[in-house]
Parts: sequence; structure tokens; C-alpha cells
Amino acid sequence: MSNLSATLTNIKNIKIAPYTYTVEKGKIKEFASAIGDEKEEYMNGETIPPTFPTVIEFWGGKSSSSETLGLNMSKVLHGEQAFEYLGDINPGDEITVNSTVEDVYTKASMNFVVLKKEFVNQNNETVLISRSTIIERH
Amino acid sequence: MNVGYQFDSLQKEEITHTQLVRYAGASGDFNPIHTVVPFAEKAGLGGVIAHGMMIMGFTGQAIGNWFPVKNLTKYSVRFKAMTKPGEKIEINGSIVDETEDLWICEARAVNELGEVKVQAHFEVKK
Repeated sequence: MSNLSATLTNIKNIKIAPYTYTVEKGKIKEFASAIGDEKEEYMNGETIPPTFPTVIEFWGGKSSSSETLGLNMSKVLHGEQAFEYLGDINPGDEITVNSTVEDVYTKASMNFVVLKKEFVNQNNETVLISRSTIIERH
Repeated sequence: MNVGYQFDSLQKEEITHTQLVRYAGASGDFNPIHTVVPFAEKAGLGGVIAHGMMIMGFTGQAIGNWFPVKNLTKYSVRFKAMTKPGEKIEINGSIVDETEDLWICEARAVNELGEVKVQAHFEVKK
């Protein structure tokens, strides 16, 4: 698009380094408790809640994706989030996250960044795909 | 179950600032717009706002009440409005379509005034 700022063009070309996160039972319990979802399978850490992949995204990397992309944190909003569950994620799994900037565009005076993250386990199986649409208000 | 089936709604307790701090620590999303009031005010938000992902988490809690979570194959949301401490969220959902193997469902997280916070689409193995 012709109206992309220089910053947005840079974002499109940013390479985000892969990172690895080990799934722990205590973290599953902590996360489910924070939501107020105290199902037995979460409290004993055997099963992950549907949105647990966000924990892997935030705690696995050195900083949040928005910071890595150089976005203004006071102007950032989450527009959309999609998870595709391709396999199980269990406690003890070592999940490597490979991130790519899939799309960048400007609409209604806001910047949109679509991030795709592939979650690969220790057996080299892709177990989940996450797509986040991040909005930066002008 | 059949197409058109309405799930039992989930009524969440009032969101507190403390819950946002707790969710920040648990999720690792430490953007101060969710936890630091002066920062959020300066950002023009009139105070801290809940993590959208927490409201997606509430909706995920409802999905887990309705189906075994291991059967979930897709779950996506659009964040429609910001949520603040003091609001009470309710999650409603229904089966809107089916294939041979899947239930195609929708859910919404709304506040007491009926304002939609999250519009969700999800698919579950039969």
C-alpha cells in the first residue's frame, strides 16, 4: 500500500527470533485461576485452557510482540485473535514459537499488524497456529 | 445437541483492578494500560482497561463448560469494545451450523448493558 509509513514498511520486514517455552503445571493453574476458571483439570495442571497459548507467547519471548515490533504501547489494542488447535499441548512439552509478520496495513487512521505464530513441540509436530491482529491507534 | 441449541450462559463476577494485575502476571502481558492508572489515563483511556485476552479467557471458560476442551479445533474472536474494572461479563453461545465431524458455534461476551465485548467463533469435534 502506498500510504504505509516508513515504520510500517520496516515492521513488515522484521524477523522475530524463535523462542522456546516449557509448559509447567503450576503455570497452567496460575493462569486458569487468574481467569477464574477453576476446573479440576486446570487446577491439577493436566490440561491447558483454550487461551493458554497466550502465556507461551508472552512468557516465551524476551518481550511482548508489540514491543519487539516497536509499536507504541500506549496506543496498542488487540483487534482479533484466532487459535487453530492441531494437536495437544501437555505439561512438560517444550514448545518453540516461530513468528512471522503476515500482513501490515493502515485503515481508518489506524495501523494493523497481523502476526502468525506456529507452535512446534519437541517432536517437531506443529500443534497450534495463532493469528493476532494488533491495532496501533494514531 | 442440534443446530440452534443455546448453551447455558456463564455469569462472571465483577472485574476488579486486582484481577487485571493478577492476569497480567499470569499471562505475561505487562502493558501498563492494563495495570497502571496514570499511564492508562495519559493514553486517553480514562483508566485501566482489561486485557482483551482475559475476556477471550472468560469465553474459553464457557466453551470448556459446554464441551471437553480437547475437542476444540478452532477458536477465534473479534474484540469489539474495551472492558473496565467494575463491569460484569456474561457469556452466551449457540450452535449455528454443523458438518459431519464438527459443531460450528458462536459465542458473545456482553456486559450488563448488553454491550458486546467479544464476538467468538469456535468449532468442536463431535
